[in-house]
Amino acid sequence: MRTSFVFSWALLVAQTYANVTSIDEELIIPNETDTAGTVFETCPIVTTSSETDSTSESLEAGSLFNDTTELDGAVNEEGEGDRVVLFENVEPIKYPFQEKLTLKPLPRNFMAASFQFQMSSNNLTVGEAESDFDAYRHYTVFPKALSPILEYTQTRQLHIRFTHGRWDAESWGQLPHRGSKSGGNGVELWAVIEASNKNEAFDNWISLANSLSGLFCSSINFIDIEKTTYPVLSFQPAKKESMPIFNSSNHLFLIRAALANEPICTENLTPFLKLLPTRGRAGISSLLDGHKVFDSNWHSLSIDVETRCEGIHCKYYMEEYIEMVFNVPSSLARADKPIPKPLQEDALMCDESKPHDSYECFPLPQRKETKFELSKLFGKKIIGSSLISEYPSKVCAVVSDAWNVLISVGDVFYSTDDNCFTVKDKELHDLHFESENTADIAEPDKAPIFVSRSLTGYGQDSGGLRVVFRNPGNETVTAVYFESLPWYMRLYLSSLKLESEVGLEIEDVIKSTFYLPAIDRERPTHLEFSLSIPANTSLALSYQFDKALLKYAEYPPDANHGFEIESAVVTVIEPTQYEMRTSTLLLSLSTPDFSMPYNVIILTSTIMGLAFGTLYNLMVKRLVTIEEADKKSSSRRGLKSRLLSFFSRIKRNGGKVDVEKKQQ
Amino acid sequence: MALLERLQRRATDVGLLPWLVQLLPRLALLSGLVGLAWLALWLPLEGNYRHTYISENALMPSQAYSYFRETEWNLLRGFRTQIKQLVNETSSSRNEIVGSWLEEIGVKTAIHTDSDNGDTLYGVLHAPRGDGTEAMVLAAPWHNGDGDFNLGGTALATALTRYFSRWPLWSKNIIVVFSEDPKASLRSWCNAYHSSLDLTGGSIESAVVLDYPGANDFFKYVEIYYAGLNGELPNLDLVNVAVHVTEHEGMPVSINGNPESEIGDSDFYAKMRKMLLGVQKMALSGVQTCYGNEAFSGYRIQSLVVKARGTGGPFDITTFGRIPEAMFRSVNNLLEKFHQSFFFYLLLAPRYFVSIASYLPAAGAFSVSFILAGLDNYLNSAKGLSSTSNSSYYSVVTILAFVVSLLAAFTLSQVFLQWTKPLVLVTISLLVSSVPLLPIKSKFTTVYAYRFKSIAFMYLSVVLTSLLVVNFALAFGIGLLAFPMILIKNTNSLKLRFKNSLMLMATNPFVCTCIFANVFEARLQGLVVIERLISAWTQLGCWSWFVICIGWLPVWLMVVFSSIPSADERRSVQSANAKKLQ
Repeated sequence: MRTSFVFSWALLVAQTYANVTSIDEELIIPNETDTAGTVFETCPIVTTSSETDSTSESLEAGSLFNDTTELDGAVNEEGEGDRVVLFENVEPIKYPFQEKLTLKPLPRNFMAASFQFQMSSNNLTVGEAESDFDAYRHYTVFPKALSPILEYTQTRQLHIRFTHGRWDAESWGQLPHRGSKSGGNGVELWAVIEASNKNEAFDNWISLANSLSGLFCSSINFIDIEKTTYPVLSFQPAKKESMPIFNSSNHLFLIRAALANEPICTENLTPFLKLLPTRGRAGISSLLDGHKVFDSNWHSLSIDVETRCEGIHCKYYMEEYIEMVFNVPSSLARADKPIPKPLQEDALMCDESKPHDSYECFPLPQRKETKFELSKLFGKKIIGSSLISEYPSKVCAVVSDAWNVLISVGDVFYSTDDNCFTVKDKELHDLHFESENTADIAEPDKAPIFVSRSLTGYGQDSGGLRVVFRNPGNETVTAVYFESLPWYMRLYLSSLKLESEVGLEIEDVIKSTFYLPAIDRERPTHLEFSLSIPANTSLALSYQFDKALLKYAEYPPDANHGFEIESAVVTVIEPTQYEMRTSTLLLSLSTPDFSMPYNVIILTSTIMGLAFGTLYNLMVKRLVTIEEADKKSSSRRGLKSRLLSFFSRIKRNGGKVDVEKKQQ
Repeated sequence: MALLERLQRRATDVGLLPWLVQLLPRLALLSGLVGLAWLALWLPLEGNYRHTYISENALMPSQAYSYFRETEWNLLRGFRTQIKQLVNETSSSRNEIVGSWLEEIGVKTAIHTDSDNGDTLYGVLHAPRGDGTEAMVLAAPWHNGDGDFNLGGTALATALTRYFSRWPLWSKNIIVVFSEDPKASLRSWCNAYHSSLDLTGGSIESAVVLDYPGANDFFKYVEIYYAGLNGELPNLDLVNVAVHVTEHEGMPVSINGNPESEIGDSDFYAKMRKMLLGVQKMALSGVQTCYGNEAFSGYRIQSLVVKARGTGGPFDITTFGRIPEAMFRSVNNLLEKFHQSFFFYLLLAPRYFVSIASYLPAAGAFSVSFILAGLDNYLNSAKGLSSTSNSSYYSVVTILAFVVSLLAAFTLSQVFLQWTKPLVLVTISLLVSSVPLLPIKSKFTTVYAYRFKSIAFMYLSVVLTSLLVVNFALAFGIGLLAFPMILIKNTNSLKLRFKNSLMLMATNPFVCTCIFANVFEARLQGLVVIERLISAWTQLGCWSWFVICIGWLPVWLMVVFSSIPSADERRSVQSANAKKLQ
């Protein structure tokens, strides 16, 4: 059965492949609006239950997920050959999209979940813009929202990171995908933009940022000239030489900016799901729920789009990764009781070796054994596979032998040797985890370097930055340290100091420096160090800065808790490729009392009024000696004496009248 | 302008100016008395103080139900029993054991080593919801300010950390600190946090120091200490939150260590006593017993101490634990820094306060008093000048003399910083004070005596005025204690000289501070206060020693100079008599 199937399959492949010249010609592409509805309704089931084994094996062989870190090449090489319609008009049309969920228990009962989605666009025609009236464009699985933005901003590579939380590298080891898929706290964006000159590239960059801002419901539009850098040593594209330039007179510009501590929440996740062809309603993305994703200790949403060309055929390749780390016991506990109230007395786990009774209890360490379902962590089950994809959705658990992982389809449980499962059909799938010893896990890769950065100093006018590098390994680590600081941190590179217990000098550690000083309101400080950190050493670099005073209108309108300083990026080149970010910082600048300007205005007006009055008097009045003035004032009668004399005159007059009357 | 002109002319006509000049000494005296009366008598009057209120709406104290109760008490007792066994351990093993508990809870710990002041264990509980740039500190020194083992406090800090770690709602990191003592060791940690520590949790917004000595489950009332170093106070909102939360749980609150018997009093005298006690605590902050909030001063950290007092009262230790819980919930709500409400205030009761504009005139009056005294002396010196003598020559000599005394005072402050011998200092002070009694004659004339006092008082006035806003209590205290100096008269009569000498003794910075401390602060008996002033600078960075040495001492020295009977005194008296006879 199995051999015959494989044989006939191979035959058909050979036959159809001979006829195929271009996928676009061969595929009957349904209307965009139709496909959205047909994901659940019209896509027939690809595999029947009898074929489970063979299909899963062939998928294994042809999967794009041979190596989680080297996914990109696979799409390119195998995409053309496999994207074939077996039975025309009978089998559903399949698109270049695949998805995979990897679950990996971490020390101390944490668990990392990594949702990976990959897709590619149809062929692009070089030199033809979306806006051209005769342009002919199909959007299949590649998001329609993204493609025009990339085109009119001439973006060849786009990388967006939404990250929040703290990756505990000391306990959890390396970041997923060697750190290449996660940014610093907040939003990070970098892109390779084709343009004839830097100004044009910057204009494109700004319009790219503004477009993405709307697309991802995030304040990416706050990226401006003050935050933008052009990295020199860091962020270099992996395959620089293969990057296409559509117009040979143009150049490529690598531009980057980050918004530190930009809040990441559900409204950012929704656009990520909308970019997927399954729209979060089928496949592994059906697990993604804002409540659970953002309840995690660390989460990162990332998108990478690359343009790849073969001859004149170019395509966008997109990777969308959504990753998070849960604390399993507390997530499970929260699923039962949202408020962590004190436990009941009988639920307390007391250390038997220490005094314990109904009044006293020394808590035991966390339980070692565990048993839970994926649906309890995410609040729902996986709703079938992504049926429009060439490959069914996959779920993998990276665990040690101490763990037992099962997949349940309906009421039936399955297990596999490598703990990777294929999600099929429209069934509800759930994953069961069980372990006697949660501390026994697949050993995480050790991080090659630990870097922490903190603000130092006292007061409101100056401060310092201190970066501690620790190389725990036995090999010298070569790395690039990238830092972009806002202009209101007036950095003094001359104050650069190195603290080291083994007596290292700056020259031993910093091999080369790229330093672009800040210009007020126009450019951030851009600093890149090539570092070489000896094995098993810890050293601290520190430098001082002055805090600038901002203009009146530059302060945030409301009272703020400080100014966010984006994380520094450390790219390890040797011994392994690795990338990591430090935590972000909060800088407090001296904030004036904003009623002060009014006080100043009032005071100056008063003083000016006084000065004017005196000056005016001097100019228009006659100067006299005191004697003259006294004489004059004594000769001039006051109001009182005038009134008195007036009354006395009346009196006198009245008397006169009487006298006159008498005389009459 | 015409109005001013007329008034001025009227004043000249009436002879107001000479009259006022004659009145100057009395005006100076009056001004000082007004300053004292303003603070002590006027402010506690109904209508001069205000009811406290929560200015920052986000704080919402006690709006969330506090769950630190029920079985959390069992855990707290469990921790306490274990910590009780650590009382006699070395600090490093104690820190190691408690550190391992914290690690188990999921807190990143590190130990700040300081061989001089003792090691400090601290842990950072990273907020799951926060961006990790801000932190709240929960500090529990192993030994409290009174030297008792802070058993309840440290057990509470551990249990609270465990309790906090179960809540997902934190948006600011929580740093829990176990220092050896609440003074030098905690201060050393705080300084290191802002300069050299590798494990940090962002900028610290607030700090609550827990002080609950003993293994007793019950206590009577809560004391809140808030006076920071160098006149710094925590934002009134934080104090209000603490008071609100504590009273919400039904516990009586005493501020600044007001005795239990006076907690309920709310009459005029009670308010006056509580306010003056607050001023005294502010002025002696860093010098008196430190409870821990002083350690955070200077870094824009709002900090206070909550201390449980008494044993066997109606309130249990979890009730006490709900104070930091509710306070942390409140501070956690803040989206901004503490910026509303007041940073300068005096509390007359836990819920009554006066703000800076109301109380500043009290210390201002002393400044004015010294200006007036200085002016009086200057005008007196001008009287003694014959028309031929050169006034600016006198001025130059005066300034030189003042510079010399300033340098002498500075040298003295530095010498005694290294060589702490309070007895020597006080003895020298007393000896110098008796200089007017010695049968020596100063070579300086009376003109100089007046000039010296004039520049001294002017200088003191400048010092007090600049200190006024920064450290009101210290400015007020110095103003009050140095005030009798203006009564010292240049004289030749033995009785007055004796009086002068007594006056000088009473206003000597060191003697006077010692007397003040002995009278008002039971814990600062003898000459301890001088040692404490010096250690407050070396350990905490409290300026009081230098303010006293550089601000007050040169003034006193100049007055001593001027009170030595001058050679021409008798002559001038004789000539005056001769004039009379004529």
